[in-house]
Amino acid sequence: MTDRISGVALNTFRESVRDKVLITLIIFAVLVMGSARIIQPLALGEEAKIIKDLGLSAITLFCVLIAILVGGRIVYREVEKRTIYIMLAKPVRRWEFILGKYLGLMAVLVVSLVVMTAAFYVILLVLGIGAPPYLLLAILLTLFELAILTAAAVLFSTFSTPITGAVFAFAVYFVGHLTRDLRLLAAMSPSPVVKVASYFLYYVLPNLSNFNIRPEVVYGAPLDPTALVLSVSYALVYSVTLLLIAVVIFNRKEF
Amino acid sequence: MSSYPEPVISVTRLSKTYRTGLRMKRVQALNDISLEVEKGEIFGFLGPNGAGKTTLIKILMGLTEPTSGTALVFDRTPRDATAKARLGFLPESPYFYDHLTAREFLGLAARLSSVPKSEAEGRVTGLLRQLRMEKSADIQMRGFSRGMLQRMGIAQALVADPELVVLDEPMGGLDPIGRKEFRDIIVDLRERGKTVFFSTHILSDVEMICDRVGIVIEGRMVEVGRLSEILTGDVESIEVTVKGVTGKTQKILERVSQHSLKSGDVLLLTVRNEEDVDKIMAIGREVGSIRVVGIVPQRRTLEDYFMEHVARTGRES
Repeated sequence: MTDRISGVALNTFRESVRDKVLITLIIFAVLVMGSARIIQPLALGEEAKIIKDLGLSAITLFCVLIAILVGGRIVYREVEKRTIYIMLAKPVRRWEFILGKYLGLMAVLVVSLVVMTAAFYVILLVLGIGAPPYLLLAILLTLFELAILTAAAVLFSTFSTPITGAVFAFAVYFVGHLTRDLRLLAAMSPSPVVKVASYFLYYVLPNLSNFNIRPEVVYGAPLDPTALVLSVSYALVYSVTLLLIAVVIFNRKEF
Repeated sequence: MSSYPEPVISVTRLSKTYRTGLRMKRVQALNDISLEVEKGEIFGFLGPNGAGKTTLIKILMGLTEPTSGTALVFDRTPRDATAKARLGFLPESPYFYDHLTAREFLGLAARLSSVPKSEAEGRVTGLLRQLRMEKSADIQMRGFSRGMLQRMGIAQALVADPELVVLDEPMGGLDPIGRKEFRDIIVDLRERGKTVFFSTHILSDVEMICDRVGIVIEGRMVEVGRLSEILTGDVESIEVTVKGVTGKTQKILERVSQHSLKSGDVLLLTVRNEEDVDKIMAIGREVGSIRVVGIVPQRRTLEDYFMEHVARTGRES
């Protein structure tokens, strides 16, 4: 079982790292982080914070793009190119295939995060800002946010085209960062329909703002360890749930 | 215990209906198909394009589900991983991972088939050698020709040394040398006790290597059996070649024959039976100036049989 899952994962990893899309996104991320040098004179003494914030935001944004653009076509591409025939004719169970694809993409994201983080720290050192290790906490939490987003992208790719899947995944990402506003809307709206719809979306969609601790780490605000543990647990439960739904859909699929 | 061997593939009253288009129009791909494939035989699944061959193979591989009826592989449902562990599959016009080299791809196939790590490398190298792919082993497959891809397809199907090999149109798009290589591989598999189930619309391949055939036309199985049973060996007609024929004798001879073809003073006559041959011989003796130089009995070929069925099914529908 582990051999088959790791086989699918390794193939997904190889496919992604040999793809120009991934390399291009990583290069762009490094370029954006490097552009901090340009805005340094405009920062009015806050350059260290702005550069750290820009770097962390760039890492998150480009990793989100990788998760959505690569993840959104991850299963669809196998079906479209009919490589799925080869895969599923082997003694690979469908859930093993989905899990392997997911883990392969997560491995790609971990490597991308490591490369981008290394570039970020090099840039901080070159600019003489210093590279405090606590910034890594924000990057680690981004990884858990990506775990949810990747599971959503894999789920969408089991039943939609890459473009539709990417649109759905982007929607989840944006609305996922606005769920607190949804709860506020539900509480304040006089309309019962809006109330029900807002509460429904609030409870169904992932609360991704839990994973954004960039302001806290950049501006040195205190962090709640319990909240961090809860966020990590939430990411694991949410990702597993999305993957289970993906497996149910994929199990019913005919090729 | 039964003295009959357990069928490797067993299909009973299998039907498959697809719904396509916006109006969800029903398309019957398979209609009440039954067949059994026994251990150690080469079974040719024959039919024109669109007859339902690939649909049945997809059901046998667990890629799609039948609407009704049952399909069993090694007495298990096609999705069962233990059944899949005993088979190898080459899809029609296979497409592989462009980004992988031939060696990486076969390594992946071995890993997914649970081939022990200690054996995988040897198997991959052996298959690359057997299929003359050693020189291209470490090149990404994106630049491979059709023939090379087909060889990679058969290699990944054989990497786990399966008991059953299912090939969907394996000779499609191959040149004569490639087809000969594939036939040799299939015959070699039989000699090693393997079972081969392959679909094709190329009749000569079937006639050359198959033990039994199933003929499917428009989703219906019109015949299953040994080639020797289907093609009974009965003489269908006799071709008689007559030399020294003039215009007058040609007319007399043509009264006896079904068809005739004249080239110079040579007349090729197709007659129904030996009595008609005797009549031609009698005419020859009477006229004196003509000579019978050839008598060739024409037996029924698989092509004749196949075309009759296609024509009959076309008329019925």
